[in-house]
Amino acid sequence: MLDRLIDGYTLSVLIFAGINVIAAYSFYVPFKTGQVSLGQAGFMAVGAYASAVATQKFAIPFPLALMFGGLLAGLIGVLVGFPALRIKGVYLLLLTLGFAEIISVIALSWDYVGGAQGFRGIRYNPYTLDYVIVIIVALIFFFSRLERSSLGRAMDSIHQDETAAEVMGIDVVRIKLLAFGLGALIAGLAGALYAHQATFMDSTTFNILLAVEILVFVVVGGASTYWGPLFGALVLNAFPEVLRALREWLELLPVQWVDFYPMSAVYSFLREFLDFENAKRLIAYGVILIVTMILRPNGLLTRDLMRQWHLARRKVGHA
Amino acid sequence: MALCKRRLSQRLGARQGPDALAWLPGRFDLGPVTAPPECAMIYQQLINGLMLGASYALVAVGYTLIFGVLNLLYFAHGEVFMVGAFVGLFLVLYAGVGIYGALLGAMVACALLGVISVFVAVRPVSRANPLAPLISTIGLTIVLQNLAVLIFGGQQVAFPETINQQLYRLGPVTIGSVQIFILAVALVLMALLWLFIEHTKMGRAIRATAENHETAALLGVDVNRVVLVTFMIGSGIAGVAGVLDGIKNSGVSPFMGLTAAVKGLIVMLLGGLGNVPGAMVAGVLLGIIEILSAAYIGTTERDFFSFLILILILLCRPTGLFGTRTTQER
Repeated sequence: MLDRLIDGYTLSVLIFAGINVIAAYSFYVPFKTGQVSLGQAGFMAVGAYASAVATQKFAIPFPLALMFGGLLAGLIGVLVGFPALRIKGVYLLLLTLGFAEIISVIALSWDYVGGAQGFRGIRYNPYTLDYVIVIIVALIFFFSRLERSSLGRAMDSIHQDETAAEVMGIDVVRIKLLAFGLGALIAGLAGALYAHQATFMDSTTFNILLAVEILVFVVVGGASTYWGPLFGALVLNAFPEVLRALREWLELLPVQWVDFYPMSAVYSFLREFLDFENAKRLIAYGVILIVTMILRPNGLLTRDLMRQWHLARRKVGHA
Repeated sequence: MALCKRRLSQRLGARQGPDALAWLPGRFDLGPVTAPPECAMIYQQLINGLMLGASYALVAVGYTLIFGVLNLLYFAHGEVFMVGAFVGLFLVLYAGVGIYGALLGAMVACALLGVISVFVAVRPVSRANPLAPLISTIGLTIVLQNLAVLIFGGQQVAFPETINQQLYRLGPVTIGSVQIFILAVALVLMALLWLFIEHTKMGRAIRATAENHETAALLGVDVNRVVLVTFMIGSGIAGVAGVLDGIKNSGVSPFMGLTAAVKGLIVMLLGGLGNVPGAMVAGVLLGIIEILSAAYIGTTERDFFSFLILILILLCRPTGLFGTRTTQER
């Protein structure tokens, strides 16, 4: 639908930003119960490879393959979730990291899925953007309901204090497994969408850097509210595009605005800095991460902030 | 004879061509080319594993020190290692200092970098949210890596030969002077570190802080200073490890930090979080395991084994092989 209205470049930026949003939500679900996973890239790989095998080798239609990829990733997520129940914090981080690396080694050495050459010629799915939008809307609806449900509150209480939650009669094991499996399922969907958009992947596509990036989206966006992952992923994905636009805008500035001393120095520095070199953009990105964490250690959007907005809106409504 | 020559030249590789064997006397029959005996092979691999393990251990020691006192997964440690390698390269290429100067320079520069990173990415970030310092050090990682890309380009840069490579035969194995040098530096550093941790006042303060932050502070340990010193030492050692790695692979690249960081993490865990001697032993152990699995099973499976070990350790013995010094729940 939308692809008729916007050009190809913007479309692909939007699609990959959307896939990142879904991936960020896949991290958010287990995190809601206090489980920090660096394995979401591994689950994305499972979903991507499973769905690509389904469409390419068995000619299964994409919607079914998408579901297959998601479900398989979710199943494996539950299996990984069992050992993950026993450990916490840094240990869990490392366990999930190890899982993701093992998935990538399997992808590298298994010739059926392309091995070292990578998985080539995956069928292109022209409706990825529509799928992405539908899934994101569904996820947001789901989380808005979850937040006020007993399950959501149980998850929060497990995050706060597991022992206390258990004493209150919450089935900690079941909920943690559910959260981990659900997160893996969402990651699997994101991976399947990615595979059929990029049409090529290899064992390094879903690497540790991607897992770290997903973590960054959620923490920068704010992990205490379900708007956080969406916001974080969108802001951080928009960032390089904003820099690009800024550079183009600089070119259009009238000369008389920038040819006197302090402005000319600023102008030439910005022009120098904003040239299209990736490394500079990434440096700016890193600096922004550090500054954000110094200023807002709980992320850009926090639950308190959302509540304040809510109250402000209600006041305006009454007046 | 001609047949024998051809067979030999095939084994020596096609590049040499038949002329390379012209020196062979006419009636000299080599018989089948003898592979080194099986036991010599294994000794050789053990030496290689020891080499690899020594550099893993040097990275992991810093990790585990920092984790011990701060309870923080210091993500930028691999990049400190990379910066060390580049500083060493820079010193050798442009300042014309010898290898010892390069090692010393890298150590000082990285210790400084450690201090800077404390002030930039660790101290100003609230630790109320345990993920916040993790993200800020990830940010630092990205900055350092891309600064290196910006300055040196994205490719691997060759590390000049600074040590005269000579081969020594020790019984069944061959060992080069470069390897001996690397091993010696690593061992000396680790011994010094061990002495420092166990037998100095500051070392005792570091151990106390690792045991329990609040208690150490109550007992009069200046925790902030301990953190600073820990970062200096850990980063300095990582810098030396970077130069050694550059010598070993005769090249440095801006992307060498990530592998080192991940392997350092595994070693840290294997040795027990916060356990310095444990990290030393575990580093050597992982190096040997990796080399042996690469030699006898396959190079793609090499990483598989290290991560399998990681997962097994996590599931069966989360305190590491040698137990952790810190007992708080993570």
